Amino acid sequence: MTIAPIRKKELNSSMRHSAAAWPTGALRYLIAATFTGFCLFPFYIIVTTALKTETAIFAWPPAWKFQPTLQSFHNALFVFGGRSVVFYLINSIVISAVSTLLAVVLGAMAAYGFARFSFAGKRQLAFWILSTRFAPPVAFIVPFYLMVQKVGLLDSHVALIIIYTGMNLSLVFWILQGFFAEIPIEIEEAALVDGYSRLQIFWRVAVPLVRPGIVSTAILSAVFSWNEFLYATVLTQSRAATLPVYLAGFSNSMGIAWGEYMAVGTIAVLPILCFSFVLQRHLVRGLSFGAVK
Amino acid sequence: MPRIEFKGVSKTYPDGTRALTDLNLAVEDGELLCLLGPSGCGKSSTIRALAGLETVSEGVILADNNRIDHLPPRVRDCAMIFENYALYPHLTAFENIAMPLRARRLPLAEIKLRVTEIARLLRIEPLLGRRPSRLSGGEKQRVGIGRALVREPAMFLMDEPLGHLEAYLRVELRSEIRRLQERLGITTIYVTHDQEEAAAIADRISVMNAGRLQQVGSFLDLYERPINRFVAEFIGEPPMVFLPVERTNADSIGTKGIPIPLSKSLRAALSVTKDSELILGVRPNDISIVAPAPEHLNGEVTLVQPQGDHSIAAVRTPLGSATVIVPSEERPSVGAAVGLVFATEGLHLFDSTARSLNREERSG
Repeated sequence: MTIAPIRKKELNSSMRHSAAAWPTGALRYLIAATFTGFCLFPFYIIVTTALKTETAIFAWPPAWKFQPTLQSFHNALFVFGGRSVVFYLINSIVISAVSTLLAVVLGAMAAYGFARFSFAGKRQLAFWILSTRFAPPVAFIVPFYLMVQKVGLLDSHVALIIIYTGMNLSLVFWILQGFFAEIPIEIEEAALVDGYSRLQIFWRVAVPLVRPGIVSTAILSAVFSWNEFLYATVLTQSRAATLPVYLAGFSNSMGIAWGEYMAVGTIAVLPILCFSFVLQRHLVRGLSFGAVK
Repeated sequence: MPRIEFKGVSKTYPDGTRALTDLNLAVEDGELLCLLGPSGCGKSSTIRALAGLETVSEGVILADNNRIDHLPPRVRDCAMIFENYALYPHLTAFENIAMPLRARRLPLAEIKLRVTEIARLLRIEPLLGRRPSRLSGGEKQRVGIGRALVREPAMFLMDEPLGHLEAYLRVELRSEIRRLQERLGITTIYVTHDQEEAAAIADRISVMNAGRLQQVGSFLDLYERPINRFVAEFIGEPPMVFLPVERTNADSIGTKGIPIPLSKSLRAALSVTKDSELILGVRPNDISIVAPAPEHLNGEVTLVQPQGDHSIAAVRTPLGSATVIVPSEERPSVGAAVGLVFATEGLHLFDSTARSLNREERSG
């Protein structure tokens, strides 16, 4: 008796929903498409400018149709004097990769410890880790510069790796703590009685189960390290300068060679784009579904 | 296989909850002992303490007279089966079963051999390549049992392993568990709140309540000679009927002027206590329904449930409600006035502290 009216109500609402579905759906796509276009347009300009000849770059009205050329890429890679873009590319890759790896490994271990064990001062400690992100990075630039100078690490990879790791650590820690806490405790108890130590459980059970979280935080950390400009420009000169530093200097020393500038910009985006695309397929939901009732 | 002994074990959780109080219990080599009790009675805490998943607050746990309560779980060599399966979701059924062997770094060929053997025993060979998310509840628990069996542990700990399964699967799997346990001769502690399951599977049953061990014995021991009112009420379905009675003489009782005849031994036991207010306990199948008469406890039938060859009737009496089992052909109709007669040999008496006087009868 009570079931019938509920069903009828459901039917009504679903009919109303489907009748209203077409305009809502189309509108939704329109908004999404507009937003995507808005975000991608500057990127489109960068890539097309890099592929244009100098005359096409300055043509007015803008040349939407043009004959693409790799001349700017060729110039950026092989013609310009001094260290080539490849040198800075390698710096960026080394610094981003190492700091991301460190941040994710250390952050994950800390997060697991905080999620699974209780100890004195746990909440205060967790809050302190978060507090490292309260102030804007520029507030730390002078103390950091002095410290790095004192230990003789100016213009070194190590200095940037340590700083980026520290900045990413709190992000990784806070995100992964939630992921670890969601693993049903029985799975780890099963591993304990199966004969595994806590550290083995961390690597063989907990980490595989929070893979989506690890991937997300790795992407976020890598993007941050890759794009970071402020610390890189203050703490490095040439030996350890990263791509953003090179890009910034590029426009000054050469005048503005727009084609080459945009070519380097395109090259700068490619590695991080590939990294994100490769990792993205691991962003699957519900890895721990089906473990427990 | 070790003999397990709990000596004065107490467990208090950090939030102040007292889970176990002074537990003294021995589990013999190769036996299957059931821990039976309502939820929150401390039965899970007991096996979790034994497995090493919980520390004990007081007392010691011994395996063949060696203390084990301070050891980490992985050296205690317990295999555990969990109520909610607790399989590794990122691993296939094969890898789930292989995990304890991998922890012991067995050679690959042997792992393969032993996992396939266990899978054949549990009839889950075709499922070995699947992840837990693609297994049904019964299949999951078979994998869970396989994971526990595969390494031939010193003891099995089963924490309501069949709790989440459908009724027919429970019956099927519990006989399978019993068969495997007897064949391997491994000391097993089996936690359940289902007395029928405990009766079907256990060598001995320990009844627990509110963190305290009440009584240990075979199902028939518990059924026929419950030590106190809790055990008497918990064991037996439908539960025992309890009626308040008064002492009318040194060795006789009655209620509302109706004398209740006692067996000779129970009369002797009655003289041991001085309590005048007592509780009479009687199993529903020790009560028969007769025509109402002044010398009987009379009442009105309020409910009749036919069960097949017998029926369960609820009778409202001035002393409280009584459940009666009657042969179906003699079942009364609802609203009928009836008299109740108790079988003298089936009576239990409990004193004011809810202890059974029938025990005095045995010792005296």
